[in-house]
Amino acid sequence: MSFRLERRLEVHWWNQALTPVLSILAALAFGAVFLLFEGFNPFTVYKALFEASFTSKFGITDSLTVAVPLILTGLAAAVVFRMGLFNIGAEGQLYLGAIFAAWAGIAIADNLPTVLGVTVVLIAGAIGGALWALPAAYFKAYFGTSEIISTLMLTFIALFLMRYLIFGSHSYWRDPESATFPQGRKIPETARFELWGNTRLHWGLLVAIAIAAAVWVLIKYTSIGYDMNVVGSAPESARYAGISVRRTIMLAILLSGALGGLAGATEVAGRSFSLDPNGLELGLGFTGIVVASLARYNPWAVILVATFLGGLRNAGVALQSLPGERVPVEVSLMLQGAILLFAIGGEVFARYSLSYSRSGKVVAA
Amino acid sequence: MNQTPRARHWRLLALLAAILVFAVACGDSDEDSTDTTAAAADTDDTGDSGCDHEPIVAAFVYIGPVGDAGWTKKHDDGRLSLEEALGDCVETQYLENIPEGADSVATFDRLAREGTDVIFGTSFGYMEPMLEVAANYPDVKFEHATGYKQADNMSNYFGAAEEARYLSGMAAGSMTESNTIGYVAAFPIPEVLRGINAFALGAQRVNPDVVVEVVWTSTWFDPVVEKEAAESLLNGGADVIAQHQDTPSAGEAAENAGGYWVGYNDDMSRFAPDAWLTAPVWDWGPYYVAVVESIADGSWSSQSYYGTMADGLVTLADVSDKVSQDVRDDIANVQGEIIAGSFTPFDGPVNDQDGNAKVAEGEKPDLGTLLGMDYLVEGVIGNAAG
Repeated sequence: MSFRLERRLEVHWWNQALTPVLSILAALAFGAVFLLFEGFNPFTVYKALFEASFTSKFGITDSLTVAVPLILTGLAAAVVFRMGLFNIGAEGQLYLGAIFAAWAGIAIADNLPTVLGVTVVLIAGAIGGALWALPAAYFKAYFGTSEIISTLMLTFIALFLMRYLIFGSHSYWRDPESATFPQGRKIPETARFELWGNTRLHWGLLVAIAIAAAVWVLIKYTSIGYDMNVVGSAPESARYAGISVRRTIMLAILLSGALGGLAGATEVAGRSFSLDPNGLELGLGFTGIVVASLARYNPWAVILVATFLGGLRNAGVALQSLPGERVPVEVSLMLQGAILLFAIGGEVFARYSLSYSRSGKVVAA
Repeated sequence: MNQTPRARHWRLLALLAAILVFAVACGDSDEDSTDTTAAAADTDDTGDSGCDHEPIVAAFVYIGPVGDAGWTKKHDDGRLSLEEALGDCVETQYLENIPEGADSVATFDRLAREGTDVIFGTSFGYMEPMLEVAANYPDVKFEHATGYKQADNMSNYFGAAEEARYLSGMAAGSMTESNTIGYVAAFPIPEVLRGINAFALGAQRVNPDVVVEVVWTSTWFDPVVEKEAAESLLNGGADVIAQHQDTPSAGEAAENAGGYWVGYNDDMSRFAPDAWLTAPVWDWGPYYVAVVESIADGSWSSQSYYGTMADGLVTLADVSDKVSQDVRDDIANVQGEIIAGSFTPFDGPVNDQDGNAKVAEGEKPDLGTLLGMDYLVEGVIGNAAG
């Protein structure tokens, strides 16, 4: 008795759209089993989750606030994953982006008008993220070194570098005024996104959406995007066609790193206003991978999925305060993990069909 | 690059497995979410009897899980005793595992919007977020533990753990045979330095030859890191371990190595009965009751509260009978002097590691000096800057 996967000859568009939806439903069903087991009514919990994040004004703005970095890390993963390049280090690139952004905010933005100040901070963040991806990009392009390993390892280094700058040393980033506890130095007002009214949502949302649009144009309508597509799907043909595969790989990973760095910059300019390890170590980079795969690497879909996952993340806290139905925060984290797993599973089944034979002989699927 | 798409999928699955491992390793490593069964105790509104005013709604925001067996658990014990003391006059809820920094802002926002009367935040890193949210919600009271900033509607509260640290140091100093005590320390901040110093001075009181070796973990709640730190100290010759973090994992290392252990926050003896000596313990309940009562009668005002052993905010867990009767009597006597106010742990002379006099003979440092402590005392091996 054996199972095997066979590639579907064509993947219908409805299959493309349906898979993420089914994945999410499957994950919710999976989560429901655990909720039932723990004595909760899954419908009550899911309803509360939805209401907390998507029905009230503050619920929506809170979800969108978290969506800002997730859109950017989602794009970071999407631009390379679709080429079969797995930069899983957006987490570390985000930290470096935050380090560069906070530096630029403190050092440069003080005497600039706000629009310029924020722009400088964002550009610095993108440069920081791209630089952190550079070693991985170079070794992948020229020596074929696995970018999975290198970007993951660089993430650890970035994590400890960031902690060192605040907790381990009296660095430029550390607030010299805070005697009792190490914390980051605040960036000036001119380096911060303006908040929308009394919500926590900031103009970074529009920046993230604009970047998503730019990535879409890049992939769809530019020669660089074309090169990336060809290199991703058929590197040999790319070579025949005279496309520099190395250069394209370098560019793609650097772009991905820059997007990750940008996510760190928007967090600094819009939420933490300083290099704040506690506020940045939220797994936003890793969640970007979930965003990208659920969005099937489509930049517009990334925005939707990021908002959905942002809401899921926010709801974790709200669920804890459900009257009479205290749901542990781990539930929303577990749902996130389950959605990822089912998304990947769905991906496989969208492209392949499962066939099964009793005697090892393949039966048509 | 020339793999089949199918191979790529397997590669993708493999890397996702790697990410999960990373996320688990890097995450808050909450060992347990089982304590959420305490949920039932959370909201037992049994009707509308017994209180002559609308119940005060109090929310508690915790950095760790209530099942951490240490810092967060003690605050939650305080919350439960608040409920017990005030019955229908108070409604409480708690939110656990809330990360510090910008992410906690949304939590405080939400609580303030939803008609909470008073919000207790029990981790240092909530200070700036609470301050920020407090400015937008002048009618909500904010109570921040371990910080130093105040606003019209925000108090801070903390206590003199150093008093109990000193006493626990006496127990540790009497038990070490290698004259080396390991101290698993959290962050190099005044609160922690004060604890190490008071502990070392207590140990030196009963054993002048003792040295206290410090290892920094840069964590408040990471059982794995803290256990490893304790193990490294034990391997280096320490036979007694003291700690600052919220979990009992350092004690497990001491138990395994056959050493002794001074815990923190709570009586943690059940985690390492053979190693257990004693611990400085917090009792937050009376403070929480006082705050909520003052809100109910309208007398609440912003303050900076620093509780002591005399107030009962800080206590010492029962000292194990592994410690000799003489030493236990001695500890009890000193505790009496501390409560009576005739002795404080930092009564001069106190010298720093380089032998510079920090507190002169016969002097007592004032609270401001204690709160800004930035050095380690003579006989401590370690770096006060981390």
